Amino acid sequence: MDSGLSGKTVIVTGGSRGIGRAIVERFAHDGANVTFFYKGNAAAAEEVLASVHAAGQNVAADQVDVTDAAACAAGVERVVERCAQIDVLVNNAGVIRDNLLALLEPEDVQTVLDTNVGGVFNVTRAVAPHMISKRAGKIINVSSVSGEKGGRGQTNYAASKGAINALTRALAVELASRRITVNAVAPGVIETEMSQPIRDLAGDEVKSRILLRRFGKPEEIAHAVWFLASGFADYITGQVLTVDGGFKME
Amino acid sequence: MAQAEITKEEINAVYPVVAATVADALGCDAEDVKLDVSLIEGLDAESIDFLDLVFRLERAFKVKIPRGKIVEDARGDLPEADFEHKGIVTDAGMERLRSFLSEVPADRIKAPLKVAEVPRLFTAETFCKLVVRSQKTAG
Repeated sequence: MDSGLSGKTVIVTGGSRGIGRAIVERFAHDGANVTFFYKGNAAAAEEVLASVHAAGQNVAADQVDVTDAAACAAGVERVVERCAQIDVLVNNAGVIRDNLLALLEPEDVQTVLDTNVGGVFNVTRAVAPHMISKRAGKIINVSSVSGEKGGRGQTNYAASKGAINALTRALAVELASRRITVNAVAPGVIETEMSQPIRDLAGDEVKSRILLRRFGKPEEIAHAVWFLASGFADYITGQVLTVDGGFKME
Repeated sequence: MAQAEITKEEINAVYPVVAATVADALGCDAEDVKLDVSLIEGLDAESIDFLDLVFRLERAFKVKIPRGKIVEDARGDLPEADFEHKGIVTDAGMERLRSFLSEVPADRIKAPLKVAEVPRLFTAETFCKLVVRSQKTAG
């Protein structure tokens, strides 16, 4: 069976590194026209482009700060001008500012909420009208196991990911009549730059709580996102798919 | 008020494209989109269809239409607190609506009217006027 993603237009936010990069590469491999948004790391974005272009794949990068609603609307319009439509949106951009609640600075909370939740609102609000008009589309939000299970020092991050899960379910209801599915993927601890501090600090202890006794790879999250975006998942909406190797938190 | 400046000729000029756009958005026949038809009660539109319709009208006429524009324009310079109270349109608000939505038969604009139910009043002509106002703003 074919995934049905060849020739589809895909937007991936936070696509220059880590899980986002793996998602970009996964869709590009299937022949999708991928545009990824990145905030500021042009060197990382160039590296992704060089890699996918060497493989003859159709990928573009656009510097868009997801916390800026106007920039998101403009970025989405640029994709529509170039590709005429948007078939898949992957809201992946996210930041982490872990600390105990008492030690969190207000900006640690605001930045995480603005990026992880506000960013999903901003990009989705710009994309949804295009999908509604087409009466088709797939929206996949990258959440986290932190959204469902507690984690010390992650009140801000957990709140943001819990919000994404709730948003996912509510938006699925809102858009179902227009044949748009909305799902989330909740990764556990994945081998990325973002999780490096926690893996450095308590890697063995964290690993001992993962049934499969290893950290996940970005590609393993990309596969789950790819599945939810593919024709294989046409009958799935409003779900949060946990991909964590069997992670048990405190 | 703004709608007083909109002529029948201006409405008729945009009506064919508005009707076709409404038909596309709602999946109905363009000939069913009469000027006076209520989109919700006559053509089974849902609230999400208005989002789609405005989006399509923006593209068809190359105009920018802020979300919530109809109610905002109807309210005009009337402060929000004078237009509605606890989600119900006030007497002053009703007066504004009857004047602004002059295409809607007066007996359809009955108190008590929830602000959230105002879109039930909208007809195809309401959207023609919205387009004309947006063209004038842009032009």
